[in-house]
Amino acid sequence: MIKIENIIAGYGDGPNILHGINLQASKGEIVTILGPNGCGKSTLLKCIAGFVKPRGGAVVLNDTDVTPVPANEKVRKHRMGYVPQSDNIFPSLTVAENILMGARFLPQATRAVALKRQFVAYPSLADKATRKASALSGGERQLLSLARALVAEPSVLLLDEPSAGLSPAMVHEVFVAIEEIRNSTGMCIVMVEQNAFEALSVADRAYILALGQVALEGCAADLIADPAMRHLYLGGDPEATTSSA
Amino acid sequence: MFDFLIHVSIMASLYAVLALSLNLQLGIAGLVNFGQILLFGAGAYGAAFAFSNQLGLAAGIGAGLALAVCVGLLFARLGRGLGGDYWGIATLAVAEACRMLLQTGGDLTGGAQGISGLPPLFEAGSRQDAALMTLGVCLAFLAAVYWLCRSLTHSRYGLSLKILREEPQLAVSLGYNPNALRTQVLVLSSMIAAVGGVIFAHYISFVGPDQIVAAETFLIWAMVIVGGVGNHFGVILGAVLMQFLFAFVPFAKDLLDMPSDYVAAMRLALVGGGLLIFLLWRPQGLVRERIGGGHRGG
Repeated sequence: MIKIENIIAGYGDGPNILHGINLQASKGEIVTILGPNGCGKSTLLKCIAGFVKPRGGAVVLNDTDVTPVPANEKVRKHRMGYVPQSDNIFPSLTVAENILMGARFLPQATRAVALKRQFVAYPSLADKATRKASALSGGERQLLSLARALVAEPSVLLLDEPSAGLSPAMVHEVFVAIEEIRNSTGMCIVMVEQNAFEALSVADRAYILALGQVALEGCAADLIADPAMRHLYLGGDPEATTSSA
Repeated sequence: MFDFLIHVSIMASLYAVLALSLNLQLGIAGLVNFGQILLFGAGAYGAAFAFSNQLGLAAGIGAGLALAVCVGLLFARLGRGLGGDYWGIATLAVAEACRMLLQTGGDLTGGAQGISGLPPLFEAGSRQDAALMTLGVCLAFLAAVYWLCRSLTHSRYGLSLKILREEPQLAVSLGYNPNALRTQVLVLSSMIAAVGGVIFAHYISFVGPDQIVAAETFLIWAMVIVGGVGNHFGVILGAVLMQFLFAFVPFAKDLLDMPSDYVAAMRLALVGGGLLIFLLWRPQGLVRERIGGGHRGG
């Protein structure tokens, strides 16, 4: 479904942050990208989403090279959903308006149905449909951003640290919601995370980055048990742990 | 006194139109345009060029709109390479460069002397009747622009502009095209300002580079800030208030027995002082913007 081939990227005139990343995620799969701070996780997700233009390599979506396609076109034409890490709601709009902002490209007649579907999936949001989004808790905001990304029924969903800043209880709730999305829609989900063990518990496969390269990749269940993963994730030397899981 | 009040009302209506045009860009789409007066000047010079070529009002409106749309597209193009404040400075630079070009444009633009002798919008009847009819046109145009801006702001399209202003990256991640939205709003604002410029040119019967100095842009900015950035009604209120205050500065000068030279300085002090007072103590302006809740069309 989504294939990243030898992606090289950086910002402005600065050095490369990603040094030839390869990644693949199929329909119905949750793939998580892990790694220490500054390893290039979010940059990789922004490359896939189209916010950062790669200096080399390709992003292939459903056998189509979408590398040069700008972020907004990927949403419209290639049904890609993206939830940024921060500032991912419109605080001055109501909960319902926030969700409908993601339904802009749906036919007018189907918008109300799409909104209702999200409220059925997330009853806690339905109760607060007419409230300003600024009044929501951190976990509810995250659910709202998920609902807004899902309202247009994307084929691929990109999540940038969906558990950032949440309490442990809310982290669990968000990951349960992500797993439920995959189970109910068969969507391909690519998720960048800091919460490694929670993310691996719902993911099918994982890529662990270090210094802009894939240091480890494999089945999530195997990686949880791999001592090299723990060492790498905590900022260890990638040279010492380059064995594939 | 009655003629004076009509004149002030006409000018207040035209400034209100200009302020609404700026409010669409600044208040709704978050575009910091310091070259707003050039859009108005494009309309005024369009009317003047049409007059110079023995063409009528319709041709003047067409020429004014075409020139203003070109300027709007140029501003939008600059916005693709420059962000936020830098774009604002670039628009100011373009406006000043165009003013200098007009000032040195020779016979085509009339140079520093400008182009004079444009016929009034209404020639029949007495001078007062013509002024009253011009006021009617200005008020009708202001009402139409207000209705247009309000409808636009309360539509889903207006909401798109607002989210582009508040969370640009999030808007892009939802599939919105910021360049297209900015271009559309700039072109629309340009057209509104241009029609105001055409009416002004025919009302004053003269078009010159001194009418499009940067200080005029900042006066329009002051009207928007005092009235309430993002609130169309507030912006009209700000424009009318400031225009009437400006008009009565000469009376204040007489009351305070001050030299005539002080009139311009007092007007500048009003703009600067008004801006400072509102920015420091009431940044939301006279009428606060209402964001979200109740937009039509989902």
